[in-house]
Amino acid sequence: MGEAIVVTSGKGGVGKTTTTANLGTALALQGKKVCLIDTDIGLRNLDVILGLENRIIYDLVDVLEGRCKVHQALVKDKRFEDMLYLLPAAQTTDKNAVNPDQMRELVMGLKEQYDFVIIDCPAGIEQGYKNAVAGADRAIVVTTPEISAVRDADRIIGLLELEENIDPPKLIINRIRPHLMKAGEALDVNEITTHLSIDLLGIIADDESVISSSNRGEPIVMDPTNRAALGYRNIARRLLGESVPLMTMDKQNQGVFSKIKAIFSK
Amino acid sequence: MKNLVYIKGTKQGLVLQLDDQCAYADLLAELAAKVSDPALDGSAEVQVNLGFRFCTEAQQKEIVATIQTNTHLRVSKMMSDVITVEESNRRIQERQSETYVGIVRSGQIVKAEGDLVVVGDVNPNGKVVAGGNIYVLGRLKGQAHAGANGNREAVIAASWLEATHLMIHDALEIMTDELTVLSEQPEMECAYLHNNGHIIIDRLQELRYIRPEISTFKGGS
Repeated sequence: MGEAIVVTSGKGGVGKTTTTANLGTALALQGKKVCLIDTDIGLRNLDVILGLENRIIYDLVDVLEGRCKVHQALVKDKRFEDMLYLLPAAQTTDKNAVNPDQMRELVMGLKEQYDFVIIDCPAGIEQGYKNAVAGADRAIVVTTPEISAVRDADRIIGLLELEENIDPPKLIINRIRPHLMKAGEALDVNEITTHLSIDLLGIIADDESVISSSNRGEPIVMDPTNRAALGYRNIARRLLGESVPLMTMDKQNQGVFSKIKAIFSK
Repeated sequence: MKNLVYIKGTKQGLVLQLDDQCAYADLLAELAAKVSDPALDGSAEVQVNLGFRFCTEAQQKEIVATIQTNTHLRVSKMMSDVITVEESNRRIQERQSETYVGIVRSGQIVKAEGDLVVVGDVNPNGKVVAGGNIYVLGRLKGQAHAGANGNREAVIAASWLEATHLMIHDALEIMTDELTVLSEQPEMECAYLHNNGHIIIDRLQELRYIRPEISTFKGGS
């Protein structure tokens, strides 16, 4: 019996879908059988980030309305043998096409076949959110070092704490820009965690290659040299119960000499 | 026949002592007779003591109306030795202190009829409302409304008073930038409603002089 994890944030654009794609991929790389569910019905993106867009035949709503079996709708990611699957959202309808009871039943069924079921939650606190959290056992809240994102994370944590079947949520701080944090222009990691007072699961550095790799349909975590990828890999290991120290963000200010050295040592 | 309505003169004026054992109709009849006595001349304020008789609000109004048929008399106060269970519970609740352990997060409202103790932070856009005083053992960064049922004496005290909005009874204070400059050290502070209708923020140590009645301990050794 696997476990279901919902990735949520309240605010849009903080990196829920990117986090879902990368955590799923990282867990698959660790040899776990993973199923990703996109619940952002009407505005699906997870398939694009995973590069599986043109392989979708059936979707979440088709499954819940009985037009196909679950295994027919699951899209297999061929890069990871038999480890990573995606259940895409429907694009032609909206969030009200699904209700929490249906989702709970679906996730229960999937948990029997997979080690991890990761649910990508849409932004907001309405129907889409309620559907996404319905079947989850754990929750991950994604935020960025911006006050607006932290405010919304606070609201979402309050709502998650009311859910009886979900463990206390864990926090991921995404898109950290160390030079802004150091200058005191952005909230720092400590400030955010004390304000929200929940456990920190990991931090992800802001990296431009996350955008380019998402556009190519290859999750950044597949590139082992990237620092954002390292952050996601660390989080995956923590989810599996390992204790991994928090990565430092100080590698920014490398001198010219060490840069040259780095070029030659490649 | 026993006298059902006594008229007593006290320092505070006339007191009408109404019998609390007879039938209500008999009492009303005698009251009507007593107040229409031409001997009662000259205008006066009277207080009515109902004793152990329970009167509904409609009955109380009827009694007042009966007395005020004599245009010289005006009822200033109704006294009674009994209250309903409901009223009694409300009073107990108002004096009770409720405790909330945890963080009041954005969008959450924690309400109490009496005093409210929050063990934890109140985050921005979180709200605490109490009929009595509010005490926050943590950072008050959201909104707080003390004395919500009309208690002007209520106070708000916090380990860190960094609220965005403070309300006491019906007075509202928006913590603008100018005010935060005033209290650069928001540690251990309290807010109370000054007689001029404005909310004042002061050091927590001053509370025992500002609102001595909050302390339920008398004397001490």
